[in-house]
Amino acid sequence: MFTRGTLIFIGQRVVLIAFTVLAVSSIVFLGIHRLPGDALFNEHLHGEQYALLLHHYNLDKPLLVQYRDFMIALVTRGDLGESLVNRGVKITPLVLRELGISVEVGGFALVFTIGLGLLFGVVASVRQNTWVDYVLSTTSVIGYSMPNFVIASFLILVFGKWLEGVTGGTFYYQLGAWKGDIGQLWLPAFALGFPYASIVARLTRASMLEVIRQDYIRTARAKGLRETVIVARHALRNALIPVITILGPLAIGIITGSVVIENLFGIPGLGKEFAQSILNRDYFIVIGVFTMYAAMVGLANLVVDLLYVVIDPRIRY
Amino acid sequence: MAVAVRVDAVSEPVQASLWSDAWRRLRRNRLALAAAIYLVLLVGIAILAIFYTPYRMSATGIAPDYAPPSLAHWLGADNLGRDQLSRLMIGAQISLVVGVGTQLLVLAVGVPIGLLAGYYRGWLDQVVTFVINVFYGVPDLLVALILVFLLGPSLANIIIAIVVTRWMDMARLVRGQTLALREREFIEAARASGAKPMKMLFGHIMPNALGPIIVQATFGVPSAILFEAFLSFLGAGVQQPTPSWGSMAKDGVDAIQFAPHMVIAPAIALSLTLMAFNFLGDGLRDALDPRSKR
Repeated sequence: MFTRGTLIFIGQRVVLIAFTVLAVSSIVFLGIHRLPGDALFNEHLHGEQYALLLHHYNLDKPLLVQYRDFMIALVTRGDLGESLVNRGVKITPLVLRELGISVEVGGFALVFTIGLGLLFGVVASVRQNTWVDYVLSTTSVIGYSMPNFVIASFLILVFGKWLEGVTGGTFYYQLGAWKGDIGQLWLPAFALGFPYASIVARLTRASMLEVIRQDYIRTARAKGLRETVIVARHALRNALIPVITILGPLAIGIITGSVVIENLFGIPGLGKEFAQSILNRDYFIVIGVFTMYAAMVGLANLVVDLLYVVIDPRIRY
Repeated sequence: MAVAVRVDAVSEPVQASLWSDAWRRLRRNRLALAAAIYLVLLVGIAILAIFYTPYRMSATGIAPDYAPPSLAHWLGADNLGRDQLSRLMIGAQISLVVGVGTQLLVLAVGVPIGLLAGYYRGWLDQVVTFVINVFYGVPDLLVALILVFLLGPSLANIIIAIVVTRWMDMARLVRGQTLALREREFIEAARASGAKPMKMLFGHIMPNALGPIIVQATFGVPSAILFEAFLSFLGAGVQQPTPSWGSMAKDGVDAIQFAPHMVIAPAIALSLTLMAFNFLGDGLRDALDPRSKR
């Protein structure tokens, strides 16, 4: 499955991702310095103290020198600097920890999205032109027409307020409580994934309908195989191929969607940090978060491209 | 069957053009028609809001903060005691301006690029395809956020940010259509009779790709509206006191425990509008391209 060509392909892509990440952090670094206002503006400091702080953050040098030092630290040590607001907090370990949380939430949402989408799509195609199909198809248009924060708001309203007696209203993400408590991930995963599950369902339905009319399916039926085996083993495998093409956009959508969802559900991941750091004008964290996002998106795309090879043996790199 | 066809042909002696055919098919699609009616109403409300809103949208304290819906304030009041209905009406303006404005710009950018790349192929096409792929590889929402962050949040900058991150869909579509169309006989005929390049691209190829272009633009409107709502929800959209459905939803979420009416109204308005554009887009696609399989 993975030949030497594949390894070369992976190598090239990793180099490309590294360059993209550096380009993104450069653009943000240089762009942020064009912003009006002072990064330490909340501090109301003057004179020597202020000069000391500027020096501490390397902000007293010309922009290009700052940029050079920043890049050297990033490339050689993976060092993204120090928070402007919470003095002494190193950004790299901070964003890496948050990245872990975001990946956990996003990964769960991804699995949920694909599972739900495939299920809906297959059921709709097997029951084509019955009420089941119509209900599922309409649901999926509604699904991708609802912004994830709208879905999240309704979930919070229903489970957090109206059903508070039943649920106890404790679906909010609690720091440290997330290990082994998958239940807390259901609502964010649903809000994050439902729009994309709708798209997956539509695609699956369309490609299932195409596949199910093929001769080899008729052959399978003629052999007397059970319908479930035909759908699951013969049809779905081939119907999956067009579905994989949207996995890339889907992964990116979930990564970016998490910015909103994490803030709504109080999940202490990268997305929450992102919104927070912009509000706080903690510019070094903004740069760090963007760097992480760029890396994550690059890796997600790479993984999707490799998945093509796994699922469709005709594709080689 | 044959009889039915003949009766049809007799009852409609006028040769049906693509557009009248499409209109006939669209009218039969109830969902798309309902969506179109909703959108006409929405545009009406947005225009009305230029001249009249029940209260001034930025007037604070005209009702108690977080007041629930009442006869005087049909949708209640927000966290600053501003009338929700008035703000929702202005929000409709913002959403429509962003949605339609973005798509007009996307058309202006994407169609020529797609036409040129598809028609001339060669290195130009390779460059365009490469750039399109690069743009698909970056997360659109985050790039738009950086842009708004750097340019400053204003309606024009938001539209620019969305166009920068969303022009590729149109360019890719038009390029694909052009690649297919340029091999057709009528294009060959036009070339043989010495049509100038501009005439060729915009007079012969583009009109024949107009159906898919319209469908793509229709689907592009809700995605732009959604985009703006996201930006506003994250605080990078149009700035207070101008309301946007996204920022209204954000204010509502903050007060969700005791004033759920604040989030429900913009959320429903946003969802209905996006849904209407999507249903209309579905209907237009079926109407303009009857061969497309659903």
